[in-house]
Amino acid sequence: MGNNNENIQRRTDEDGVIFMSVKTEGENQTKSSDEKDITILAIESSCDETAAAVVRNGREVLSNIISSQIALHTIYGGVVPEIASRKHVEKINGCVRAALSEAGCNLEDIDAIAVTYGPGLVGALLVGVSEAKALSFATGKPLVGVHHIEGHICANYIEYKELEPPFMCLVASGGHSHLVYVKDYGVYDIIGQTRDDAAGEAFDKVARAIGLGYPGGPKVDAAAKQGDPDAISFPRAKTSEKSYDFSFSGLKSAVLNFLNQAEMKGEEVNKNDVAASFQKAVVDVLTEHTMEAAKEYGCKKIAIAGGVASNTSLRERLQSECEKQGIAFYRPSPVLCTDNAAMIGAAGYYEFLKGNTMGMDLNAVPNLPLGDRERRYHGRSSK
Amino acid sequence: MKILAIDTSGLVCTVAVVEDDRLLAEFSIQHKITHSELLLPMLEQIRDRISLDMNSIDAIAVSAGPGSFTGLRIGAATVKGLCLATNKPLVAVPTLDALAYNMYGNENIICPMMDARRSQVYTGIYTFVPEKENENQKELKYSMKAIMPQSALSVEEIAGKLNEIGKTVVLLGDGVPVYRDKLDELLKVNYVIVPALSNRQRAAALAVLGGIYLREGKAQDSDSFSPEYLRASQAEREAKEKKKNSVVIRDMQAEDVTDAAILEKENLGSEAWTEKQLLEMNTRDDSVYVVAEKNGRIVGLCGLQIVSGEGEIFNVSVSPDCRRSGIAFDMLKTLIEKGTKKGCESYTLEVREGNTSARKLYEKLGFVNEGVRPGLYDNPKEDAVIYWKRKGTE
Repeated sequence: MGNNNENIQRRTDEDGVIFMSVKTEGENQTKSSDEKDITILAIESSCDETAAAVVRNGREVLSNIISSQIALHTIYGGVVPEIASRKHVEKINGCVRAALSEAGCNLEDIDAIAVTYGPGLVGALLVGVSEAKALSFATGKPLVGVHHIEGHICANYIEYKELEPPFMCLVASGGHSHLVYVKDYGVYDIIGQTRDDAAGEAFDKVARAIGLGYPGGPKVDAAAKQGDPDAISFPRAKTSEKSYDFSFSGLKSAVLNFLNQAEMKGEEVNKNDVAASFQKAVVDVLTEHTMEAAKEYGCKKIAIAGGVASNTSLRERLQSECEKQGIAFYRPSPVLCTDNAAMIGAAGYYEFLKGNTMGMDLNAVPNLPLGDRERRYHGRSSK
Repeated sequence: MKILAIDTSGLVCTVAVVEDDRLLAEFSIQHKITHSELLLPMLEQIRDRISLDMNSIDAIAVSAGPGSFTGLRIGAATVKGLCLATNKPLVAVPTLDALAYNMYGNENIICPMMDARRSQVYTGIYTFVPEKENENQKELKYSMKAIMPQSALSVEEIAGKLNEIGKTVVLLGDGVPVYRDKLDELLKVNYVIVPALSNRQRAAALAVLGGIYLREGKAQDSDSFSPEYLRASQAEREAKEKKKNSVVIRDMQAEDVTDAAILEKENLGSEAWTEKQLLEMNTRDDSVYVVAEKNGRIVGLCGLQIVSGEGEIFNVSVSPDCRRSGIAFDMLKTLIEKGTKKGCESYTLEVREGNTSARKLYEKLGFVNEGVRPGLYDNPKEDAVIYWKRKGTE
C-alpha cells in the first residue's frame, strides 16, 4: 500500500506558470488480462491549476500533467478568477497534448473523456468543460462529468490499489471541509461539513495575518514546525454534541484577536508559536470528528483528501490515532492531494462504469453539491 | 473550401458552416446568455442536419475578441478542443471585423460597437472599397478597409472620431441600443441603425472572412491561441495603478543624471550642482547616490561622499509636488544603509537654519545638532546648522 514512487518533472514557462509531469510507478496490473481496459482522458480546471491526465481502469496513472499558476496569483494574495481563467485557455491544449503523449496514446485509444464541472470558479471550470465537450463531440467518445471533491476522494484509489469502499473520508481543502462516508463507488454520504470557513481558508487567512503570505497551508505548516503548539490556547469549536460539523471562523477570529491585543500592548509575537498553536487547534478538531465518525459508522478504514490533507501535522495525528484504534489509514501523496486530473480520471472511471455520461449541454456548476445524485445531472445523459 | 465558424463573444451564440459561396447552415440564438449550454448542442444539430463530417472542413474560425470575457473563453476553449481532436487549423478573426463584415458592399462608414461596460464600447471604423481586377471587367469586388482597428473607447471618443470623418455612418452591434440616446446627442453626422437581420454577430460573416484569412495564410496554431480581451483583468489594472503611484528608491544611474540635475536646479537654484558634477560624483568609488523614481520620473535625489569612515550627505532634494510623503526619509535611510555597507560609520550634513521641516526629518533619522556655520548660505543670507549622526548613537 502507498508504495508509489513519484518522479516529478518540472519546468517553469516564461510567464511563471509551472509545468509538471508526474510519473507514478506503482503496481500496474489492476485488472485480469481477459477484461477490457478502460482508458480515460481527464481534464481539471476548477481553480488555478490546468491539469490533464490519462488513467487506466481508475487506478493506473499513465500520465499526470499539472500546469500550476500559483506564482501568478501570489502577488495578489490569492487566486484571481479572471487571471486563472485566461491562463487556463492558454494552457489547456498543451496539457491535454502532453497527457496523451506521455501516456503514449492518441485520442482513438481513449474510451471516455472526464471533466470537472463543479464546484469551483465558474470561469475557470468553463474552460475545461468547453474543451472536454469539444473533444467528446469531435471524437464521438462519451463525456463524463466529475465532482471535484469526489475526485479528491478518489485520489486514494490511485495511491492504494487495494482500497475499496466503504470507508470514512475527511476532505479538507481551501474551499471545502467535509466528512464523507463513502458507502460505495460513487455513493457519498456527507455526515459533517463546515458551517463557515473551510479549513484551508482559515489557514490562508491566518497566514496572511501573521505575515506568512500566500499560499497559507504550506507556509503555516512550515512555520508550525519551528513553534510550540501548546504556547497559546485557541478555542476548539464544538458545533453541538452529536454533530460532525466544523466551524473555523471562531478560531480564525481568536487568532486575529490575539494578534491585535499583542500589537496594542506592544508585545512581540512569536509567529511560529501562533502558527503551531492555530494548526494544532484545527488538527485537533479534524482528527476528533473523523475518529468519532469512524467509530459510529463502524469503519475500519479512514482516508483523507484535499489540499489540507498534505498538512504534515494532520497526517501524523490521524496516523497515530488510527494505529491506536486498529484502523487502516490512507493518505494520498502530496502531489495527489493538490488539484490534479488523475484523480478526476479515477472518479470518472467509476461514473463511466455506471453509465453516467453527460450530454453536450453540460454546463459548469460552481456550487455543485456533493453526493446528491438527483440534482447532479445538469447535462442530459446522451444514453 | 469549407469553414466552420463559432462566435460566442456577445449576446448571440452563433455557429455556421460555409462551403465556397454556399451557406450550408447557420444557427444563431440570442435569448439568454447560456452559451456554454447552447453551443455544442447547436453544433450537434448542424452536424446531424447537414451530415457534416468534421474531417471534411478546412479550418475552424473563431471570434478572437474583444467581447464578454467568459463568452470569448467558451468559444476559444471549444474551438481549441475541436482543432486538437480534428487536427484542423484555427483562424482567429477580430470580433469587430467580423461584425462589420455583415455590411459587405456598403460604401458608407461602418461602425460596429459592443457594450464594454464602464461607459466604454469595443468598436472600430471600417468601410468597403470596390475593386476591379482590370478596367474591362464589370464585376466589382469589395475589400474591407479598417479605418480604425478595433479598440476600447468611450462613447464620446468614438463619436468624436466619426464626426471628424464627417460622413454618414452605419451603426450596428449590441452597444447601439445601450448608447442610442447618447450617440444621437453626440453625433453630428447622419447615421443609420442596422435592423435585426444583421445587427449582431453572425457566424456566416465570420466564416466568409475566416475563409479569406485562411487563403491569406493567416491560420494559426490552436494550442497557443488565446482571445484578444483588449482589457486587463480588474486585479491587474488595480495592481498597475498601485505600482504607477508607488515610489521606487534605487541607485542613481548615469542616465538619471540629466533629470537629477533639473531637480537640483528646481530646488536649489544657483547652488544646484550641474549635470557634469553629478555625473562625476556618481562614478566615484567613495560616493553613493540614490534617487526616488515615480511613474518613470526622478522625483528625489540624495548623495553621500565617504572620507575615512565619515560620510557627508549632499544634494538632498525632493520634487515640490512629491513632498510630505516620506520620500526623503526613505531615500536617506537607503542612503545610510548603503553607506554603512561601504564602511561609513558616521554621517554629517548641513542645512539652512530656517528649514524646519528638513531639520525635523534629520532629527527623526537620529541626527544631532552639533553646531552652526554662520552665514554660509546666500540668497537669503542664512546660517547653516551642522548635524551629525555618529557611530553607536542609534
